Amino acid sequence: MTVNEDRTRPARSPGGSDDRTDRFLVVSVALTGFGRVELLGTGLTDTYLRAIDAVLPDGVLDELLEAVGEIPVGADHETDVESILADPKLGPVARNIILMWFCGTWTRLPDTWRTAYGVSPLDADRVVSAQAYQGGLQWVAAGAHPAGARQQGFGAWSLPPEPAAQSETRAAAQSETRAGRR
Amino acid sequence: MNDDADYDVVIVGAGVNGALSAKRLTRAGLRVLVLEAGPDTAWTFDGYTRHVSHFYANSTKNAESAWPPAANAPQPDTADVRSGDGYFVQQGPNPFASSYTRLLGGSTLHWLGVSLRMLPEDFELRTRYGVGRDWPLGYADLEPYYRQAEREIGVSADVADQAHLGIDFPEGYDYPMRRIPPSYSDRVLAAAIDGMEVALGEEQFALQVRNYPAARNSMPRGDYQPVGAVDERTDGQALARDLGQRCAGNTACTPICPIQAKYNAGKSLAQAENRNLRVIPQAVASRILVDPVSGMVRGVEYQRYEHPGSPRHTVHTATARAYVLAAHAVENAKLLLASGLSGGSGQVGKGLMDHPALYAWGLSPTSVGAFRGPLSTAGIDDLRGGSFRASHAAFRFDIGNDGWRATTGAPDSSVASAVTGHQLFGPRLRTHLEESLPRQVRFSVAVEQLPSAANNVSIDPRYVDPLGNPRPVINYHLDDYTLAGMAAATDVYRQVFRRAGIEDRSDPEEASWMPSVSYDGSVFHYHGMGHFAGTHVMGSSAETSVVDADQRSWEHRNLFVLGSGSFPTMGTSNPTLTMAALTLRTSERLIKELAG
Repeated sequence: MTVNEDRTRPARSPGGSDDRTDRFLVVSVALTGFGRVELLGTGLTDTYLRAIDAVLPDGVLDELLEAVGEIPVGADHETDVESILADPKLGPVARNIILMWFCGTWTRLPDTWRTAYGVSPLDADRVVSAQAYQGGLQWVAAGAHPAGARQQGFGAWSLPPEPAAQSETRAAAQSETRAGRR
Repeated sequence: MNDDADYDVVIVGAGVNGALSAKRLTRAGLRVLVLEAGPDTAWTFDGYTRHVSHFYANSTKNAESAWPPAANAPQPDTADVRSGDGYFVQQGPNPFASSYTRLLGGSTLHWLGVSLRMLPEDFELRTRYGVGRDWPLGYADLEPYYRQAEREIGVSADVADQAHLGIDFPEGYDYPMRRIPPSYSDRVLAAAIDGMEVALGEEQFALQVRNYPAARNSMPRGDYQPVGAVDERTDGQALARDLGQRCAGNTACTPICPIQAKYNAGKSLAQAENRNLRVIPQAVASRILVDPVSGMVRGVEYQRYEHPGSPRHTVHTATARAYVLAAHAVENAKLLLASGLSGGSGQVGKGLMDHPALYAWGLSPTSVGAFRGPLSTAGIDDLRGGSFRASHAAFRFDIGNDGWRATTGAPDSSVASAVTGHQLFGPRLRTHLEESLPRQVRFSVAVEQLPSAANNVSIDPRYVDPLGNPRPVINYHLDDYTLAGMAAATDVYRQVFRRAGIEDRSDPEEASWMPSVSYDGSVFHYHGMGHFAGTHVMGSSAETSVVDADQRSWEHRNLFVLGSGSFPTMGTSNPTLTMAALTLRTSERLIKELAG
């Protein structure tokens, strides 16, 4: 595939409904502060969607993804994510999605949530997969690499760390949030 | 070698001491059988890599997380310390918080690799300071073997950094590889604190961030060839040996170096003379058989199991001219006791020691580039020796390169705290983590512990493992000498943090659970360094010790008991280099006797 070809195509996502995956990415960008390309670059989008679908009762994730559609574009979107995070049903799920992207883990939902909305045997503290551990965004945020993988090379640790690209990334994340919306 | 071979030496255990012995003895033409209680899954590179994947997918990342136990060769796990229902039967009053690994390669599979020599004064603590006990040999006796050990296990360091506190090196000697480059964090901290003075008792000490010797491959000196990954396959291929000849900064020395740039005992075993060696994995030594008249060992009974998950096994006896126990300080003592060989001195299993250690952690004012490089590349060593040792324990700081991973479980715990505690999300979450994670600083404070009759390993027929072998029963207590050392160490780390502008965040509530102990109005939360010692102590008389200075049993003259179990005292150095030196010294004597 050439670069030009890539540019002419709409963003496609691996597996599942493209629309649903897109919505998942839009909400993930808003939740994590990482851009769409960075999230896709982990190669874990589909893995995470499948893991969430496997553990949550039917419809809960879609309810969360629908709620994203109502987030207005621009500076105020934080307020709306805050309202999702404050929601007793969607909030714990949204926080788990953040932890999943950063740590590659699923975190057992709070007992109150489990009582109210249902219990799955898969709802336990666990690493989603060996790949998910390595793809955790926490290592990127630390300016480092996953412990035990993606070695930086002999003596790299002696050099000053590269400064975080946070300001650029924030701008990129915001524009990607807009671009990702329908 | 075939099954019916007549062996010169049977070695129990394929960890660092067993492997080094096997290498030396087989190369001297002696025929050696090694019995390893655990599986040999780390013997091929593919098998080893499965352990790496196991670590990735494990929700805990502790020292054991890459090395699941075989049911028939159970092992302690630090995750069991809190519940007290692990392999160890913990009788307290303080929990023993260390672990070891029963696999081919032993605990070197997950060790950090720090390879400090003991100080000359560590060998004569009783004479110099009136505490502990003296060794039956001194630094000068062991020095040539330290050099051999540094070559055998591949230590990277510069003599220029290490020649202090009385440690001397012969003219012209330097380590086989140049020192591991200091981390950026080491450099930031050194700029802030080098030369600062602290007082302990009547003495003043100038502190310095000092690179320490590590058995991790670096740039070789002279003709030294760094030893890469172990890859022993039945087809004779060894495709991965070129890997790991340089540390690449995987930041996972503990629990598993994915490229084996860090020494593990499999490397020494792979260098043995293959024609003279037979290794039987999944073979648990269960009893040492002794001639009741002569006291000589006439065989080792062992249980061979085919499937790690099933207790079905067959019982065999291995015989040889001499026998070497190299199964670990606890397992050696356990096997002696289970064989009824508690000895005339009554010292088998007695005097168990560790380095109980404290964590101190904080946030540096600027980025130190945390979570990069070998887990630790430097420490503050200046308080390992001094006249204060008459009244309290010496101690040593390891400076971590892995943020708060060991203490709180960072970065995962830092993310969780930001998301669920501080309700952060989106760009502000990312910015918060980018600004805070690289500033995380962690010290481990290893504190000396003296031998005490109250600290011991014993056996009890009520507590057995699936093959019917005894589980270790541990009595353990931290005495005032160690606790006063912890108090002094706490005072010093706080001074260091203040000088460096590090915001002290050492809050046990934020940390993973650790056992705690009270002293003089303070509560110390401690962990174990995995430095078991003292369970078959060496000494100069059969009345007060289990083995002599050659690690030879006083009562069973063809039996040698190797490892840190032989240490009369521990000092503050990680024990592997010293036990390797002792093992090489013992091997030399064995060769002289059996091959001469």
